[in-house]
Formats: sequence, structure tokens, C-alpha cells
Amino acid sequence: MGGMNYTVVDSKRLATAEIYGKTLCELGEKDRRVVALTADLAGSTKIGDFREKFPERFFNVGIAEQNLFGIAAGMAKTGLIPFISTFSVFASMRATDQLHTDICYQRENVKIIGSHSGTSYGQAGSTHHAIEDIAMVRSLANLKVIVPADGFETANAVRAAYAMDGPVYIRINRGFDMNVYENEDYGFEFGKGVLLHGGDDVAIIANGCCVFQAVQAARILESDYGIGARVIDLHTIKPIDKEIILKAAEETRRIITVEDHTILGGLGTAVGEVVLENGRACAFKKLGLNDCFSAIGFHEDLMTANGIDTANIVKTAVDMMKYAHVVEISSEGKTTRALKFDDRDFEAEIDWTDEV
Amino acid sequence: MALTKSEWTELEKKASTVRNLTLDICNWAGGAHMGGSLSAIDFLTLLYYKYLNFDPNNYEDPNRDRCIVSKGHIGVAIAALFSELGLIEKEELKTFNLTGSKLGVHLDCHKVKGLEASTGSLGHGSAIALGEALAARVNGRNYKVWVLLGDGECDEGSVWEAAMATANFKATNLITVVDRNKCMIDGFTEDVMKLEPFADKWRAFGFEVIEVDGHHLQKLSDAMEKAMQQKDKPVCLILDTIKGAGISFMEGNHKWHYGAMDEEKYEISKKDLAEYEAKRLARVEMEA
Amino acid sequence: MKDVSITQDDQYAARIFFNSALPLLKVVIQSKPGLKAKFERKSFVFQVSALYDKAPGGKMATHFVFNKGEISVKVSEAHPNPDIELEFPDLKKFIIFFSGKGSPLPKMKGVVKNLGTFVLLLKGLMTMAKLLGAQDAPKEKEDQELLVKLYFYLLPNGISQLNKAGYEKIHEFVLKSPDRAYAFAVTGYPELNSYIRMKEGNTKAGRGEYPRCKPFLTLRFDSPQHALDILMGKGDMVDYMADKYLIVEGAPEFAGVFGEFMLTIAAYAKAEYMN
Repeated sequence: MGGMNYTVVDSKRLATAEIYGKTLCELGEKDRRVVALTADLAGSTKIGDFREKFPERFFNVGIAEQNLFGIAAGMAKTGLIPFISTFSVFASMRATDQLHTDICYQRENVKIIGSHSGTSYGQAGSTHHAIEDIAMVRSLANLKVIVPADGFETANAVRAAYAMDGPVYIRINRGFDMNVYENEDYGFEFGKGVLLHGGDDVAIIANGCCVFQAVQAARILESDYGIGARVIDLHTIKPIDKEIILKAAEETRRIITVEDHTILGGLGTAVGEVVLENGRACAFKKLGLNDCFSAIGFHEDLMTANGIDTANIVKTAVDMMKYAHVVEISSEGKTTRALKFDDRDFEAEIDWTDEV
Repeated sequence: MALTKSEWTELEKKASTVRNLTLDICNWAGGAHMGGSLSAIDFLTLLYYKYLNFDPNNYEDPNRDRCIVSKGHIGVAIAALFSELGLIEKEELKTFNLTGSKLGVHLDCHKVKGLEASTGSLGHGSAIALGEALAARVNGRNYKVWVLLGDGECDEGSVWEAAMATANFKATNLITVVDRNKCMIDGFTEDVMKLEPFADKWRAFGFEVIEVDGHHLQKLSDAMEKAMQQKDKPVCLILDTIKGAGISFMEGNHKWHYGAMDEEKYEISKKDLAEYEAKRLARVEMEA
Repeated sequence: MKDVSITQDDQYAARIFFNSALPLLKVVIQSKPGLKAKFERKSFVFQVSALYDKAPGGKMATHFVFNKGEISVKVSEAHPNPDIELEFPDLKKFIIFFSGKGSPLPKMKGVVKNLGTFVLLLKGLMTMAKLLGAQDAPKEKEDQELLVKLYFYLLPNGISQLNKAGYEKIHEFVLKSPDRAYAFAVTGYPELNSYIRMKEGNTKAGRGEYPRCKPFLTLRFDSPQHALDILMGKGDMVDYMADKYLIVEGAPEFAGVFGEFMLTIAAYAKAEYMN
């Protein structure tokens, strides 16, 4: 066995984490109104599966994203349910006017699957990174936005998108994401965050590929530092689950958001809006790209470089525990909880001897 | 000769009515996109009154023909036409552009019955029309889709993306119509961004091009019928038109892409349109 | 001792044999109930060593402390007075012997006095050599599982040893690595799991499931047979992935790098550099 050299076409075969192609085919089987479109990316994304099964309901418009969105809008006007797939960077920016005017403004029933989002197409560089797409699509009225954590959640998101009326934007990666869930039956509910790990010391709210990182961080925080981290998979950005956010703010008083996206305008901002409007004081930190373009590299390495990997989430949580300490203050018979600055030392010794 | 003399006469009168109503709305609203409206009304009238399989009383019929006015800034003309068709109350036209109105410069398809799309951002109509045309084969239906573009609008790359795809998918049930009035906001098209050789461009993209006088209903009819019969290639119908046709101070004047209307101008316009109608009817007498 | 020049490759290979491969004897003994039982009543120290003037005390060694069924493995540690010892005159001969390239006999100490025990140890060593040296997968299911276990324990340990020895390609990679664990797994056979943790220059090989969190990369096989196919070079990684015999939990780019490291260890285990 040698190194893993695979082609772009292989990558579709290997992206076993991405099973939405199968789900789309199931929907297509059930409902003849479902059609699929792409802009020359059938071979790189799972929408190609649909093409194999329903060639007469699949349209490849070539490298023309504006046309892709316009045609989908036109099809939706006749009662069809178009699923369009292209890279997130193009879905959100190359055809924004069409997305805005033809689809959102006219409330057409088009479902957009933006793949290779965030820095997941790491080696392709910033021209193919989508690190502003959530900020942009979130601002479009009538558009629902879902950022699934893994292949199983994507399948659920696709089904949910199909079941609702109106435009939906689903943001996924290349198909090599680590699985967070074991299967599709964990109770996905559109618009509701998923509590993946309980804890009352700090809340880590993440979506997409950062959910896996957050879960691992929570395990390490527990075992190495004795810190109870609550992990929330906040897959639906719009409409956002205010309840789960406010509960986390109330019960932990420390929130860390993690996204493969700029910290300006995405998940962190959306969560912050909810917390701020509620008037709850909270230690708050957004992890994501710091208003900069990302370097080139493997996605996993970029997550490390951009501070959204397990290690940095752990570090951020530990630091936050150091500077944001929740204490109870009693005065005039009343007790309240407040944030105080305090120093606590956390250590984790590592034994580097190999096990024999 | 697609039109009989009486048909032609009726249609001339109808087109004139729509022109006048457009002018009225412009007057009520204080200003409008008159230039591009006047160049397109002849085509739209002919389409809706003779060729489009469209029943205003059943405007959601899935088997209907569709017309997408991609040059959505001529909403004032569409409103006038739709009012004549019975889709908009005449009284409502007086609220055009006013706060809370269902009607504005660029019409909203969710607020105007029978309007296929909310156009206004140029370059979008062709793709939407193509989507509807392709949907016909998916849904097993047999209808035609017409899309009306401005010539300046053809600067937009998205127009050519859709054109390329139309030919690629052999969507011959889609008829692309260009209102070639040779003007845009900043001047004549050939001074701002050259389109010529315009017909050749469409041919190169795989279209059968039919060029016709956009203000001669008889010739236009012949051309439209020819377009509807074409089965091998999609058709691009290029209308040779005059921006602001029918009103003296607007004709061929790019400044009347959008203009303000006042009492004085209104009186002149009304007189001009009456004269224009007379001239057009005289032509019918002569040629029919 | 004859004047033999010990190369850098020899040093790397020796490290792998002493610290990663030899310890597997314990695994072999404990996996074979018949053999295991026979050691249960015995207490002695067994050592394999090679004379090497650059090593502390002039010899590299790994020894095993057998104490009535319990076996402790002490790598890179020479026992002052082992009961049974196989002492090779130099690293090269030690490597040649254990890689199966030849059989230069070591000095055998305490064999006559402890013949019975020695025979048992030899049995263990021969079993291990036969398994690891085979070109084809063993027929017996238990042996297949044992061989997978041996590979899975050997490879991460070998990679860790090479890192600690400063083997450039691996050490450069580990230096740049954030805290990540790479693991092997066979679905349904948790006892075959193993892993290596890397962090900024340090590595730790471990057996069983990685305890801290889900590893950064897991090469997960759907059966011991398919694992052996890949390990023994009889199956194509890409095909196996497409057929789901091998599931890479994690990015394939890293699977590729890790695969290269595995090949490096395998090459040293066969002393290919001597060819």
C-alpha cells in the first residue's frame, strides 16, 4: 500500500461521508417534480448520483452559475423542485443577484447545495474558499440556511429542505468530514440545535466541520482539565434556535462559537445577536477566520492554522475559565451569579512513553 | 400575410390604446420609462392579443404560453397592457409608484396577476425563461415561452450564458425577442458598448435570426409566426424599433429612457399619439 | 568483535526491532493459550541484545521479566544478569537475523541451564517470525487476527520510534503536527485497535482505542482479512476504500502520508535497505 493518489473523479467515489446523493435520488424516486442542476460540477459532487438515475431530470449548464440559478428559478416557477449544486463560493457570490432577485425575492422553491465550503477545498486556495457565504446568504430575506455537521446531517437537511416551501441554502464540504453522528436517526429537527455534550462550565456552539472539533475538545476538557463543556451543533443559521443559545448563555455564562468562516457576520455574529438582544452578560469568543483570507493547505491543517481545531477550542475554553469565573454574590438576602476575573491553574501532563 | 385587414386594424387600435394608457400612467406617476415602453408595445400587444396561448381568466393554467419581459423597467407598459387584459383594475393604475401600491417601476409577480417574473435586474429573464422552457419537457407539457430583452441588456454576460444553453439544450419552444431600439441610458448602444454585428452574434450562438420592423404589425406577425414554426434551432427575433416611437420629442432620444412628465409634455404627447395612430391606420389602408 | 561499520539505517532498523518488534513476543505468548499456560509457573529474565559501542553499557537490549504469568517488557534497557540471553556480536547481525535475511547465530547464554524455557521462548519467537515474515495471510482465523494485531501494534510503535530517533521525514512531520492521533481499527475487533499520538515533535504509540477523543485519522477495516490484504500489499487502497473494506475516517491526504510512514517501517522490518 502506498500513498493515496486519487483523481477528482475518484474523490467522488471516496467521499463516502457525503451520502446526500443517495437521499436526493430517493426523493427523486418519490417525487417527479424533483430535478437537479449543476454548473459543470456533477463529477465533483454527489449530485452526479442523481444524473445517473434520472438523466432526463438533470441539467448541466456548464460553467455558468448565474444561468444555473436563473434556470432553476424558472423551473421552480412551473412547479418543479430544483436542487442546484455548485461550490459554496460560487453559489453565494457569483450568482448573488440571481439568488437575491430570482429566487429569494420571488420566493421560488429552489434548494441550493453549496459544497466545498469554508476552507475545505484547502489546496485550491482562496478563489475556491467560501468564508463569507454565510454572512451573505444570512442577510437574504426568505432564505433558510442550514450548515450540516456531517454526511448524515446533510441527508437530513436535504430531506427537510425538500419538505418545506421556499428557498433553502445548505452548506457542506467535500465529503471527507469526520462523522459526528452514527446515523441519520438522532432526532434532526430543522431550526433546532442539537445538544451533543452536556456541561455547565462553557458552551461551545459550532456548525459544519467545527462540530466534530468541538465534541473532541469537550472530551479532552473533561478528561484532562475537569471542565464541563456543553457542545451544541447549531446547524440552522436561519431561523436560529434562540432558545438553546439563551439556555447556554444563562447556564454556562461562557460561549465560544466555532465556524469555518470569517468571524464577521456568520455563526458567531448570529449567536452574539441573540445573546446581546437578551441582555445577558456573557464571556464571548468567536473562533473563525480573523477577517483574512486563508492560506493554502490541507483542510485539517488550515483548521489548525485558523484556530478552529480541537486544540484551539480547548485552549480557548481553558483561557476563558481562567478569566471568566462565575461566582455567586449575595447581597441583601438576594443571591445572583456574576462573572468575575480570577486565576485558576489547569495543567495536563503528557507521558510520551510508547506503550509496549 | 398573417393578418387580415380587420385584424390588423383592431390590433393597431389596441396597441394605440395601450400606448395611451401607458402615457396616462406616466402622467399620474409623474414620470416613467417611456422610451423603452413605446418601442416594445407593438410587439407585446401582438403577442398577448394574437399569439400567446394565455387566458387572463385562467392565468395559472400550467399549459399556458409564457411571456417574460426581461427588460422589466417597462413595468408601466406591462401595467397598461395587463389592465387592458383585465388583470389589473384601471383605478389601481393611478396608484403606480405611490407608497403601498402593488405597482411600481419594476413589477412584482406576487402582486400582479399573470406576471411571470419579477424582472428589473437586467439579464435575468433569459435564464428564467429557459428554465420554464426546459420544465415543459420535464413536465410533459407543450407550451411556448417568449422572452423580451432590451438591446442594451445584451451587454450582460448572463444573457449569453442563457443563449448558449438555449442552443445547447435545443430549447426551440423558447423564442428570444430583442427590442433593438439602439438606445440605452448613456447614449446610443453603438456609442456606449458596441453590439454590432448583433444578428451575427446570435447566429454564432446557434440561433435562427429573424430581423423585422418592430412597428409594422403585419410584418411582425409574419415574423412571429415564422419564429413559432422553427423546430431545428431556437429563434432570436430582432425587432428594429424606435425608442419612444409615437411621441415626437421622445423618438430616438436616449434621454427618454426614463423621463418626467408634466402637463405641457402630456398635452403634446397625447396629440402626438393621436397623430401616430392615424398614420398607422392609414398605412393599414394602404398596404392591406 | 569484528570491525563492522554501523550505518544510520542500521541504527533505525535496530531501534525498530528492539523497541517495537521484540516486545510483540509478549503479545504472541499471551495470544497462544497453550504457550501462555506453560510460562505461568516460570520466573526468569530473558534478554535479546546486540553489542554496540555507541549504546550505554556497550550494548543495545530489550529484556523481558517473566514472573509467573506476568510479562514486563523493558525496551532499550539491558538487564545486568539475565537468565537467558541471545547476544548478537553487532547490530547488523542482529538485524539480519530478525529480518529473516539470514541466520548469523548469536551467543546464547543460559540456554543449557534453562533448556525447557528456552525451547518455549524459541517457539514464541519462531511463531512471531513466521507470522511477520509470511508472504501470504495465515489460514487460521486466530492467526489472522493475531497477525493484524502484531502489525497494528508494530506500525505506530515503529513510527514513534523513528520519530524519537530523529528520522527526518517522520520527525519533520511530527514537529509540524498539532495534537493529533492516528489510529488503526477493525470493526468488531476492539482488541486490535492501536494508535499513535503526535504533538509538536513528540509521539506516543498506544494499544487499544485512543482514550482522549476520536482520533484525527482512523484507518478502519471491515474485517481482519481485508486488513491483511492491505498490510500485505495484496489490495489496492483506493479500490478498498470505494468498496468500503477500508474506511478512512479523516482526510485521505493524511491517510496517504500515514501510509508512507507505514511503508517505511515495513521496509526496515524487512531490512530492505540492505538489498
